Amino acid sequence: MPSDSLLPGQPVPLPRGPTLKLGSGIYTRNGETRASLFGTPQHQGSSVTISRIKPHPPAPNSIVLGSITRLSPQQAVVSITVVDGVPLPPGEDFTGVIRVQDIRATEKDKVKVGDCFRGGDVIKGLVISLGDARSYYITTARNDLGVIFATSEAGGTMEAVSWQEMRCRKTGKVEKRKCAKPEGL
Amino acid sequence: MADLNADIFQRLHPKAYLERFLAEQLRPDGREAADWRDLYVHVGSISTADGSALVRLGHTTIVCGVKAEIAEPDLEQPTEGFLVPNIDLPAMCAPRFKPGPPSEEAQVLSDRLASTITAAGLLPLSALCIHPERAAWVLYVDATCINYDGNAFDAALIAMVAALKNTTLPKATYNEETGHTTCTRKVRVPLPLKRLPISYSFGVFDGTTVLADPTAFEDPLLETSISIVLDEHGDILSAGQLGIADKDTMSWCVSSAKERHEARGREIYSF
Amino acid sequence: MAQGGFDRRRVHGPNESFQPIFDDDYEERGALYKGWQLGQTRRKRRAEDIRPIFLNTGFIKQANGSAYIETERTKIACAVYGPRQSKSSAYHEAGRLSVEVKFAPFSSLVRRAPIRDAEDRSVANLVQQAIAPSVRLDLLPKSVIDIFITVIECDGIESCVAAATVATSTSLAKAGIEMFGLVVSCAGAVVGDDVWLDPTEEETQLASGMLLCACMPALGTTTSVRQTGRVFPAKAFQSLQLCQERCVEIHHIVAQALHEDENESNS
Repeated sequence: MPSDSLLPGQPVPLPRGPTLKLGSGIYTRNGETRASLFGTPQHQGSSVTISRIKPHPPAPNSIVLGSITRLSPQQAVVSITVVDGVPLPPGEDFTGVIRVQDIRATEKDKVKVGDCFRGGDVIKGLVISLGDARSYYITTARNDLGVIFATSEAGGTMEAVSWQEMRCRKTGKVEKRKCAKPEGL
Repeated sequence: MADLNADIFQRLHPKAYLERFLAEQLRPDGREAADWRDLYVHVGSISTADGSALVRLGHTTIVCGVKAEIAEPDLEQPTEGFLVPNIDLPAMCAPRFKPGPPSEEAQVLSDRLASTITAAGLLPLSALCIHPERAAWVLYVDATCINYDGNAFDAALIAMVAALKNTTLPKATYNEETGHTTCTRKVRVPLPLKRLPISYSFGVFDGTTVLADPTAFEDPLLETSISIVLDEHGDILSAGQLGIADKDTMSWCVSSAKERHEARGREIYSF
Repeated sequence: MAQGGFDRRRVHGPNESFQPIFDDDYEERGALYKGWQLGQTRRKRRAEDIRPIFLNTGFIKQANGSAYIETERTKIACAVYGPRQSKSSAYHEAGRLSVEVKFAPFSSLVRRAPIRDAEDRSVANLVQQAIAPSVRLDLLPKSVIDIFITVIECDGIESCVAAATVATSTSLAKAGIEMFGLVVSCAGAVVGDDVWLDPTEEETQLASGMLLCACMPALGTTTSVRQTGRVFPAKAFQSLQLCQERCVEIHHIVAQALHEDENESNS
């Protein structure tokens, strides 16, 4: 079976006409456009990319999923397990932090980390910067970001009742969280 | 949670993921609870070793090579040689193993393999004696895991026993006047192996479901592990359990191990 | 045994043991060049021939990319993990490439004790130097790519480095790590007036000098050249030329392995 796939280093055939925007997986050197990934170039509108479906490290604007591993008054530490919809292999987590000022968009000065997250909560966040040497900075200051899965003190699964409260399905007790906007609400 | 695809769900909630499969009487890799993965054994492909074996159990892949050297016997056992089995779980085979000296897991595994081989009486150490008090064979049995997908114990034991079965030693003579041992390449003899152990491991999930031959994904979720070691005729050499289980679980595992032994285990060492 | 520095992490044999000494010169593994004299031609292969390459990708399931390469007796497995978060405390704008090589204890005629020795490191350095110029590390801030290589059997150390380099570049391509081009590598031994490509251990011992070359055939550039031993410059350049020509062929083999793997995962 003949394949259209290119190897890293092979020239990317470009159609004549307006210059295309080069996306990931493609580079230009000495006037020659070449592939940097193994795969088939995909044309989308005015850009051409070779996409990778492999797990990759977080970058600014990546949507990440992860679980809260540690809390302090200043920040919540997150073990990132999914980047842009691609799960990282077990044992290959990246560390991120949600600083107290990045938890929500309004009334930032009144936020208490402990009222927004608990250890073990699964959160959805947006990477805002590469952060410092140890961790990536993540924000949850958007309606669709925040806790997406949590268990109550009683050990039951909880569901969001508002953007800052979740209710335990077992006991009916309400706990405080910074919730991601539940689907279909 | 609807937008989470199966991979992400597995990564975030491994236990719930496995529970959902087992509720359908299936495991994530398509097996039923009592099913085993395919087993493949190939011997003698490494020419630098005196004996070698490659074993694949599902995706778990282990290569084992035997190197024979000569040493002076122990003062306390002047007519015995040495059998030195070790397994390496290098950083290459799975992300959770880190580079450096053997991890705790590898140490425990080496120790279990060594005691299983000794307890089975696989090779009488007196057969390795060249000359009492002066010279004896040392067999270094080194196994390396190339691809780790759970149940390394079963695979490594088969690899070690198969490599030893594949091993031949040159004919050695000790010269009492010079104190040297010399060997001849023309004559090589196989090892006089006695009982060939083969292990069958199980794990218990949630106190109820017994899973045969657990994978690397299932293994951390199991609270109890059980290993049944049989010899090539199907007689029990040892049975071990780590963790709690119902009183019937162990006997169920023994009969399941024997069943598997009849189906596949019996011919493993007949090459 | 309460001596200092005793390694309790492994099962131990006696304090010291020795390789068997043979009284006959009947060579088991290196019988090919018995009675060979300088000026005679290469045995079993033509001078410019390499051993057939078997290359297989993706067999280490938990690695991001992996490859197994076999050239007759040389057998090497390679795994790529990452990009992982760098554990060092300093911030790095560009990613790093870490290479670790392990020789299995049974991989050569003399048993290798399971500790890191100088050869592990020098092989790792050579592979690292050959690969690093090809990887777009500028795209991977704060990250490290871990490359692990296990030598299962080794027949000729230079050829072993070359094979490990090919396996590494293949694994990186499989792992979806961006690079300028695939790196392939070939070794040559200068024996008399001839250059023998992809030499075995026994052939290496007949050579006066060795050349190891790594290049990116798609771009026509070399990434690493190492020459050792006593060789006239003209001979060294000739060896380099021959290695590069052969690398084009090796590049095809890598391409084929990657395409085959792609077809398998599509079907």
